[in-house]
Amino acid sequence: MVDVELAEVTDFLAGHAPFDALPERVLRSLPARMGVRYHRRGSSLMAVGVDSNDLFVVRSGAIEIRDADGDLVSRGGEGTTAGSTTLVGDNPSRFDVVAIEDTLVLLLPREIFHELSQAHPDFADHFDAERADRLRMAASSVATNAAGQAILRSSGRDLVRREPVVTVPIGATIREAAEVMTTQDSSSVLVLDGERVAGILTDRDLRRRVVARDLDLHGPVSAVMTPDPVVAPAETAAVELLLTMVERHVHHLPLVDGGQPIGVVTSTDLMRLERVNAVHIVGDITQQRDVAGVVEMAGRVPRLVEQLVEQDVGAHDITRIVTSVGDAIERALIALAEDELREEHGPPPRYCWMVLGSRARHEQALGSDQDHAVIIADDAPDDAEAYLAALADRVVEGLEAAGYPRCEGEVMASNSRWRQRLDGWRREFRQWIHEPVPDAVLGASIFFDSRPLHGDEALHARLAEDISVWVPQGRKFLAHLTKEALAQEPPLGFFRGFVLARAGENRDTLDLKRGGVGAIVDLARVHALGAGLVSVNTRARLLAAGRSGAIDADTAASLVDALEFISHVRLAHQARQAAAGTRPDSRLRPSELTAFEQRSLREAFHVVRGAQQALAQRNPMQYYT
Amino acid sequence: MPGLRRSSRRRRQSAAAAAPPGPLRDYLSTPFPDPRTPLDEVPLLAIDVETTGLDVERDRVIAAGWVPVDGATIDLAGARRHIVGMRMDVGDSATVHGITDDAVAAGSVPKEVLVEMLEALTGRVLLAHHASIEVGFLSAACQRVYGAPLVVSCVDTLALQHRVLTEGVGAPAEPLPGQVRLWASRERYGLPRYHAHEPLTDALACAELYLAQVAELSLRSTKPLSLKAVQRA
Repeated sequence: MVDVELAEVTDFLAGHAPFDALPERVLRSLPARMGVRYHRRGSSLMAVGVDSNDLFVVRSGAIEIRDADGDLVSRGGEGTTAGSTTLVGDNPSRFDVVAIEDTLVLLLPREIFHELSQAHPDFADHFDAERADRLRMAASSVATNAAGQAILRSSGRDLVRREPVVTVPIGATIREAAEVMTTQDSSSVLVLDGERVAGILTDRDLRRRVVARDLDLHGPVSAVMTPDPVVAPAETAAVELLLTMVERHVHHLPLVDGGQPIGVVTSTDLMRLERVNAVHIVGDITQQRDVAGVVEMAGRVPRLVEQLVEQDVGAHDITRIVTSVGDAIERALIALAEDELREEHGPPPRYCWMVLGSRARHEQALGSDQDHAVIIADDAPDDAEAYLAALADRVVEGLEAAGYPRCEGEVMASNSRWRQRLDGWRREFRQWIHEPVPDAVLGASIFFDSRPLHGDEALHARLAEDISVWVPQGRKFLAHLTKEALAQEPPLGFFRGFVLARAGENRDTLDLKRGGVGAIVDLARVHALGAGLVSVNTRARLLAAGRSGAIDADTAASLVDALEFISHVRLAHQARQAAAGTRPDSRLRPSELTAFEQRSLREAFHVVRGAQQALAQRNPMQYYT
Repeated sequence: MPGLRRSSRRRRQSAAAAAPPGPLRDYLSTPFPDPRTPLDEVPLLAIDVETTGLDVERDRVIAAGWVPVDGATIDLAGARRHIVGMRMDVGDSATVHGITDDAVAAGSVPKEVLVEMLEALTGRVLLAHHASIEVGFLSAACQRVYGAPLVVSCVDTLALQHRVLTEGVGAPAEPLPGQVRLWASRERYGLPRYHAHEPLTDALACAELYLAQVAELSLRSTKPLSLKAVQRA
């Protein structure tokens, strides 16, 4: 009795597209025509410029496909295929395929691939569609060009090439500073007081502050420099540097490393890295003269996210960029409203416009609604409330037109409850923290993630300081926050059902917010507030809580990874929705996920559940009242 | 090590002289792969046998599976699985391998299976997990059928796994109990889980494990490995 059937291989193929579309007879005969190979993590399956004559099917492990420019085309685990483009087109390969885990692959030889493609249209269609998809992605990332890549991935340190830094001591004369700039061919010079950057002098300053005023060149440079200039840490991402320069209206940004200057980045340095859509959008937004213009600019955001996802920019950076653009839109709308109100009401009273929730945390994704509030100075005139009511209405309307839906819970500055004097806010927070009522706390946690956006930041700083002092003492309040953090259960059951429901149309969708991003945000908040930490960004909160011992450092690091992965899947999903013209949300259909993503998501949700369990054990249930 | 090579060749040649004309002599007359062959060119045959027990003299092979490995690629086209017919009862061993007396009764003639396997093994290195079982039973079968023993060039993935786990700075002198078993060894490399004790699946499992082991050992070595390097236990 001869029997060559390789049941393990047949069953595996039967569970993955496009093999699942083959008739059983064909499927059963297929394994005996294939080969098996093993690749260590990091080893190459296919390389650009090298001939390849097999279709690769990942049996276990994971692979990554990159084009000739090194741009990521695709990445996937069990069931992922690679090599069809080269089989259909010509050798040599135009792609690099590398194992990113230890990987076992099945090899389907060229002639059998063609035989199956001819005999079974579904089989061929699958690869046609996949190829079109991958080529489109490869092409669009090429279209944004290598410079676009560079700027998104590089930090300030990468941009500073000049050695040594051009400096003069604080005692130097204007003439000496100008000579140093000339001999070193630099458009700026840093003025140092010891090692500290005390000021900066630029070509433009020399023109406007010295020559135009006919000043004595033997006078001190300290009289004409810009004192205490905006500086940035050396590791700041290039995009953030550009955003800072656009927002602060400066063209030279000194970089410091441990307090010492390492160089100056100019807007020209950054612009030389070519168009960066994020920065151009922010720049363009600040140029707009009316609400319609701002709204039009806001329409570019979904496409921007799509590009960033395609370029494999990390979720942490993408949400920061989306936040920066959102900030620019909101600031522009506030400025336009202030201009409009000036005629009727005169200048604005002293107030601070603060953003709340994901925007405050620098974690905005697509489709988020607006969350903001206003702190009015205690000494503002009596008509300040009326002024801010009129301002808030205009801003809310503008934001809505720009694609930010009104907050369902009415947490907006247009709601008089969230437009209070500093004194009123302090009373509000004291009540939440010291005499918490469950329902009130449930709605209030959003206010503990806040950031000043416009106006007098000191008002917000005062409030933030009070909160960081009060919260660690508010045991009952922390118990409520803990309960809230435990309420968002990770959807682990979903994955059990997933395998069973693979064949049929799965009605369930996976919620990446509740139990995923939302649960991690809640965990970070309770740990950070409990330890009296002031950061609001979830990643920063987790890392700080890990360092301070408020949470196990490994758990903190795992949660940061889980947040990054879940956020990335969510952003990719939202970018697809936006491209298809539907409203972005956080609910995913299982068919959108590769086997690799499923496995990683399940791991990420396990991390969340583990962290929740650890928190629950530390805080006994009687705590909740 | 030319001494080793000569002795292996001499053993094969003297066994060939002792074997009657036919499949066993044909097999033994073909040289084994040179021990200096680079690993990515070595032809092997992963073999697994299911038996009625562990006594080479009394117990019998009831099923066999094999699959060729050409260098770094397993060739599934050469995969074979045979249930061996015999008069003896399978007895309690059916609880291990799931092959029943009825299936055995309908099985292939033992000699024909042996002939086909010798043909597949010709010019190849025998690859098995705990290879002494396979070699012992196959040699006993050759003794019964041809009156001469089987001589093989052999690679044992169990011995290799022992090396993988115990070589290197800080490695334990002995692996933990059970750590070198086929399925535990595969798990270490993240290889898929299969249903065990089906001879072709086990042979494939052993072949895949071999590829993973070679990949790891190559990474540890500064120069390309040859067959010799995986034959020393």
